[in-house]
Order: sequence, then C-alpha cells, then structure tokens
Amino acid sequence: MKLINHTLWILSLIIFTTVGLWAFLFYSQLLNQVKTTIDEGLSNHKIAIIDKLKDDAEIPNKDSFQDKSYSIRNVNEDYALQIIDSYKDTLMYSSLKKTSYQARMLTTAFVSPNGQFYEMKVISHEIDKENLIKKIITSLLLLFLFLAISIFLVNRFVLKNTWKPFYEILNYLNDFRLDKRKEREFQKTNIQEFELLNKSVQNLLNKNVEIFKSQKEFIENASHEFQTPLAIGINKLELLAEDQRLSEEQTQKIGQIIDSFQRLSGLNKSLLLLSKIENKQFISIGKVSFDSIIKRILEDFSDYSSFQEIKISYQKEADLVFTMNRDLAETLVLNLIKNAIIHNHKEGEIVIRLTASSLMVENTSVLPQIAEEKIFKRFSKSTNNNKSTGLGLSIVKAIAEVSGLEVSYSYTGKHVFILAKKV
Amino acid sequence: MKILVVEDEPEMQKLLTQFLHDENYVVEVADNFLTGMDKISAYDYDCILLDITLPGGSGLDLLRELKSLEKADSVIIISAKDSIEDKVRGLDLGADDYLTKPFHITELNARIKSVIRRKKKDGKSLLIMENVKINIEERLVLVDDKSMELNRKEFDILVFFGMNKSRIVSKSAIAENIWGDYIDQANDFDFIYSQIKNLRKKLRDHEANFDINAVYGMGYKLTVK
Repeated sequence: MKLINHTLWILSLIIFTTVGLWAFLFYSQLLNQVKTTIDEGLSNHKIAIIDKLKDDAEIPNKDSFQDKSYSIRNVNEDYALQIIDSYKDTLMYSSLKKTSYQARMLTTAFVSPNGQFYEMKVISHEIDKENLIKKIITSLLLLFLFLAISIFLVNRFVLKNTWKPFYEILNYLNDFRLDKRKEREFQKTNIQEFELLNKSVQNLLNKNVEIFKSQKEFIENASHEFQTPLAIGINKLELLAEDQRLSEEQTQKIGQIIDSFQRLSGLNKSLLLLSKIENKQFISIGKVSFDSIIKRILEDFSDYSSFQEIKISYQKEADLVFTMNRDLAETLVLNLIKNAIIHNHKEGEIVIRLTASSLMVENTSVLPQIAEEKIFKRFSKSTNNNKSTGLGLSIVKAIAEVSGLEVSYSYTGKHVFILAKKV
Repeated sequence: MKILVVEDEPEMQKLLTQFLHDENYVVEVADNFLTGMDKISAYDYDCILLDITLPGGSGLDLLRELKSLEKADSVIIISAKDSIEDKVRGLDLGADDYLTKPFHITELNARIKSVIRRKKKDGKSLLIMENVKINIEERLVLVDDKSMELNRKEFDILVFFGMNKSRIVSKSAIAENIWGDYIDQANDFDFIYSQIKNLRKKLRDHEANFDINAVYGMGYKLTVK
C-alpha cells in the first residue's frame, strides 16, 4: 500500500470513528435539550389551561384528549395530593390520522376555586426520534464524505508535493548500484527531515562507494601482485630447465614446480574472476547466442575430447538467446563443458542439449553422485585431480546468479547440469 | 635487433634481459616512467616490452606518447591484468600484442618474433630451420625445396618450435599457443601428443634435418640431427 493511501486509510478510519462517536453524543444531547424544551412548554401550557379553567364554575370531566391537548378527571383529595408533576413518553392514537404517534405527557393535579380536586394530563407532540436519527446520520455521512474528499485532495495535491523529495530519494536508492555511480544532487527541500534524510543517504552512499572501491582495488591489486612473482618464478624455472648440466630427474622436478606455480596462478585468476562477478563488475550486457558459444568451445576442446575418446553429442532444438554480459556467458559455458570433459572418463559421454530456454549438460564421470548443496561450493572438490581448481562450478553458479539464470544439478546415473532462465 | 624492456620489477627485468641476450637481441632497460619516456623519444627500437604499472606513471601513457611521436616501434604490453577491457584498451592505443603475466618464455619469444616479422616491409621473411623453410603468411613448408603438407595445428606447432629453436617448449605452452587459453586447466596435455607424433612422422618422411624430442616432465625440444 502506498504511503499516501495508507495515511488516507488511517485518517478515514479515525475520522469515521470520531464522527460516529460525536454523532452519538450530539444525538443524545440534542434529544435531551428537545425534551427539556418540550417539558417546559408542557408546564407553561398547564398553567395557561389552569388559568383559563379556574374561572369556570363547573369543570367538566374530559376523559379523552380528542381534539384538545389535555384531559381532566375529577379525583378525590387523597389521590390528588399524592400526584407529583411527572413527564413521560407515551404513544397516542390519533383517530383522525388513524396512527399512533409519540407524545410527551405531563401528569399533574390542581384544585379548583370551589375546592374540587382534578387530575390533568397535558400532551405535546414529541420529536420523531427515528426521523431525527436518520437526518443526523445523513448529514454526518455527507460531512464524512466531504472530509474524505478533502483529505484525498489534500493528499493528492499537497502531501504528494510535500513527499516529493522522499519519493525522489526512494527512486534514486532503487536504481542505485555501487559499481555504476550516478552523480546527482538531490533537490533542495525546506523540510528539515527530508533535508536530513538526503544528507544521511548521500553520506551513507558515499562511504559505501568508497569502501566498495577500495575493496575492489585491494582484491585486484593483491591478485595482480601475486602474478608478478609467479611469473618471475615460472620464467626463471623455464630458463633454468634449459641448463644442459641438469639431469633428467632434475629437469622433471623443475617441470613439476612450474606446474604448481601455474596452478597457483590459475587459482588466483579464478578467485579474482569470482570476486569480480560477485561485485558485479561486469556491466555491459547484450544479446548472447549460446549456440555460437557452445560451437566454438566444443571446437576448442575437440582435440582434447577426441584424445580422451569422449563422445560429445550436441543437440540443438533452438538457440538460447539471453541478454547478459558476453564474456560471462562464455566463461559460464566454458566452465560447464570443461567440467563435463575434465571429470569424465576415457570413452565417456557428454550430451549437450540447447532449447530456447535452457541448456543441459549431461556427462558420465568416474565420480559418484554429489550433494547439490555441495557441488557449487568453492573448493568442494570431490576429486583429487590436482589440475582442477575446485572453482569452476562456483564460477558457473555466480555467473548464473548475477545474470538472472538458474543452474541446477541432478544425478541420474550421469551428472546433469541444467541452466535455465529464472522464472 | 634492439629491444627496450620497460619493467620496474628488478627480478623480472633481469630474467627478461638474460633471455633476450640469449636470443641475440640488444637489450635496453627502463625501470620507471620517466626513463621509459626518455628512451622512447630518443631512440628507435624494434620492439618494446611494456609493463603498465610503473613508478611515476602508466605504461599506457608511454604508448600514447610513442604513437604521438609517430614511431614505428612494435609494442608488446606485458601486464598482470588479464581482463578483456584492459587488453582492448591496450590494443586500441596501438599496442601490437598483449601478454598476461605469468607467461611462458617460449610464448613471449614467439610473440616478439611475430611482431618484428609483421613490421618488416617485405613481410615475406621465411622461418628457416635447418633444411626446412616456412612461409608463415602463405602457410607453406618446404623441406629441401619440396613442399610438406601439414594440417593447421601441425603447422602452428612447427612454427612455434621454429621460433623457439633452442628452447624447451612445455606442453602447456604448446596447448595455450595452439589451442588457446581455454585449455589451460585441462587434466593433462597428453592430447597434444598425437599431433606432435604426426608432425614428427611427416618431418622424418620428408627427411628434415631435425627432430622433436620429448624432454621428460617438461615438454619437447628441437634437436638437430
């Protein structure tokens, strides 16, 4: 729910409850006031009637109200004396209208100049409560509607404007990438909180960008610094191996040391690549055809695979075209295929199947089934093959993750890797 | 042939100098940006081996300077940076080649010879190994003036050996040179054996005056009969 709608919702709820409660109070107050007024009217009316009647020699009994608004009944003294003026709500039947109506009735007693005691009931039309409630509710609903519309308009034109800096910063943060810095000044705002927010966010981002940069540089520099001594070592050993005085055994040992150095260098390169992938340093993207990549890599490996007598069958149902970084796509396919070749056995088999949405690589191997959560882990080697860095499949996983692809592993007697577009 | 080595790492410098001397080049050294700048502006070299990170500046700026002076020196960048952007940037600035550390001495040797050969006006220099003449441009091999048919890889391997006549050529250097960097992590390089076996057979059949012999644990070496 949007912030603006959220406030609108909460405000409406509060206003509705408040207005409702207020309506209830208003209604009871009003009703009270109306009753008091009616009662006062009845009392005045009573005095007027008695005033008028007191000159009459004979006061006739009037049992029913009929057309008049009062009734009089001759009573004995005792009964009259215990009557106290009392007001009550009652239902009256109008023979004219043939319906009952609500009325207020005053019951009182008086004594005529000739010593006769009378009980008198005076009535007055009372306010129609149902009608009153209906009227109040209608006007309140109108009030509520008016308030809601006002709030909506205020939200729409005033708050939206007020919150503009907030949404701006939100959009900026949403698009923000550490590696892809967009220099930009936030719009000046005279709201203190937003100004503070802008400043804090700017500071936070600047700090992060700095840390990211220095970390990136550190990893790259460290990795490059490794390569130079390795290069010196390898080249010196290569020159040393050419010394005619060395025995065959010594030359062989030098060869082994060179191999180790090269492995170290390869490991270093792979780690650097992994860190670059995870830091999202491969920015440029474009449409990549997996078919052409697979064909080229298979060609590059054809001598190796035919030497190992590995049968590779490439089944292309359709080309997988995906928008991602081209170099990463190549590294991804390379590592998948290389993995299938390197861990294969002599006269093994590899099936590569490409569809418009996925790439499957299935290979025979000397290795048994490997747990899926382990296989993509760094250095989780399930082989003592010392030429393998144990990073190839981690690189595959990392590339898939940053590119919006998914890679999964299963075992069906053969090792099956499936690369598919993330749904 | 005069070669300038612009490299700040003393050990690297020393071994490059030694190796280039062995290959009969005249070698000069610059170990920082300014010396490099002086030498580049003052002299002409057949080839410059250029490191990018130098004390006092970037090797790429030296390259820019060289190009602005309109000099024809061949340049091979030797850098620890192996990202494609770095390579593209170097080559865009006019470098003839880009070699990533660590490299095989034999690879560097082949690259230097290639860039120097490409710069030669006639461009038709023959690579001569005893009684074998190789025309690299036209991919022709003559043994005692009779042509020898080689497939693409056999030819490339022979050229690689030809450029490293007196050196031990390791299997991984051959694999990387002929099959590309992709192959570098493959289990073993025994697969190149079959190509070499075929090449040796053809050389023997055509009575070439040299053979390719295995150096156990290292690779192969040309030996004159």
